[in-house]
Amino acid sequence: MEKKVKLAEQKADLVYLNNTQQNLGRDKEYNGQKRDSLVARLRTGDRAAAVELVDDYYQQIYLFMRKLGHDRQVSEDLTQECFFNAWHHIGQLKDGKALNGWIYRIASNVSRLHWRRHKNKEVIGIEDLEKPYSGKGEPEKMEQTEQLEHLRAAVERLPMKLRETIILHYMQQLTIAEATEAAGINQGTFKSRLNRALTILRKNIK
Amino acid sequence: MKEEQIKELLSELGRRATEPVRPGLGEEIKQRIPHRLSRHKIGWDTVNIIIDLRLSKSVAVASIIITMILLLNFFGGRDLTGGGIIKDSMLLIKYWGRSGEDHISIARVKYEHLLERGENVIWYGDCIDIKDANSVLIQRKLPDAKYQLTFVDGHEKQVNSEQLVELLTLMLERRTK
Repeated sequence: MEKKVKLAEQKADLVYLNNTQQNLGRDKEYNGQKRDSLVARLRTGDRAAAVELVDDYYQQIYLFMRKLGHDRQVSEDLTQECFFNAWHHIGQLKDGKALNGWIYRIASNVSRLHWRRHKNKEVIGIEDLEKPYSGKGEPEKMEQTEQLEHLRAAVERLPMKLRETIILHYMQQLTIAEATEAAGINQGTFKSRLNRALTILRKNIK
Repeated sequence: MKEEQIKELLSELGRRATEPVRPGLGEEIKQRIPHRLSRHKIGWDTVNIIIDLRLSKSVAVASIIITMILLLNFFGGRDLTGGGIIKDSMLLIKYWGRSGEDHISIARVKYEHLLERGENVIWYGDCIDIKDANSVLIQRKLPDAKYQLTFVDGHEKQVNSEQLVELLTLMLERRTK
């Protein structure tokens, strides 16, 4: 009897996994089509497309600035500057796939310029971490939160170039190609920076 | 700690390192979308460079004229004692002599260009005394709550909000006198 129940559960899990994968595939395809259409409209100078771009990205870019260590006010200013620059570089936008890399590259450049102008400014990251929403028990949750706090401190101590690669790829969830484009370096250099950053983090968090 | 575990934790950190974004921010960005969202025009690069370098256009024009005069004198075999350079210099001085009104028209072009770029700029050219060299022509808002002011004589200055209010008040007072 127990075996039958287990088999039924396994079957249900498989069906659920298949459905989820199919849905994810469909979502990906839809997002790809949406981005292609958005980029095409942006390239023709459609203002409504620009509004859509702001809606899709302004929160991401703001949080990216915060993760790079800018305070709230500066992050807001830099987010505005990023979009301001974006309107003047729309001609450089090629297709939907390049959209993430393009906007993050502008954001990275804006941030880099700011750090260059204010070399001695203090790095201020996001202070409070959102509570976990996984189904873990209390002790596990506490342990994970502690690990995350250590990791965040270690990421903040990384040199800017390495920190940027970690934030782009792991924390902002960009693909290697998108993150490479955003960092404005070649893929080999990006991967090597990523490895160096991970090695340092591994040493610092034992 | 294993590398894979660190990667997972980094992704989790990315998801959880978040904070509420000020609701008005998106609207502010949308308001600054230029009315004519056009593709990047190469021709504007030169203008942008001049504006970004904060180089006065009249200075740029004068530099070009001086370079041309020198080149003509050098390659054209003109006699230096024949007055060629002197005449050219006179022309140049004449050009500088009309600088008052020219500065305003140049500043107007600059203002329109900045406005088209979606910058936060204000034009005071219609309500000031042109003869007063300390009158502000253009006010341009910069990040970090600073303002870049362009004056009637073409010089530029960065000020904070308090200095701006003071300058504008003085300007209006001078005008009413």
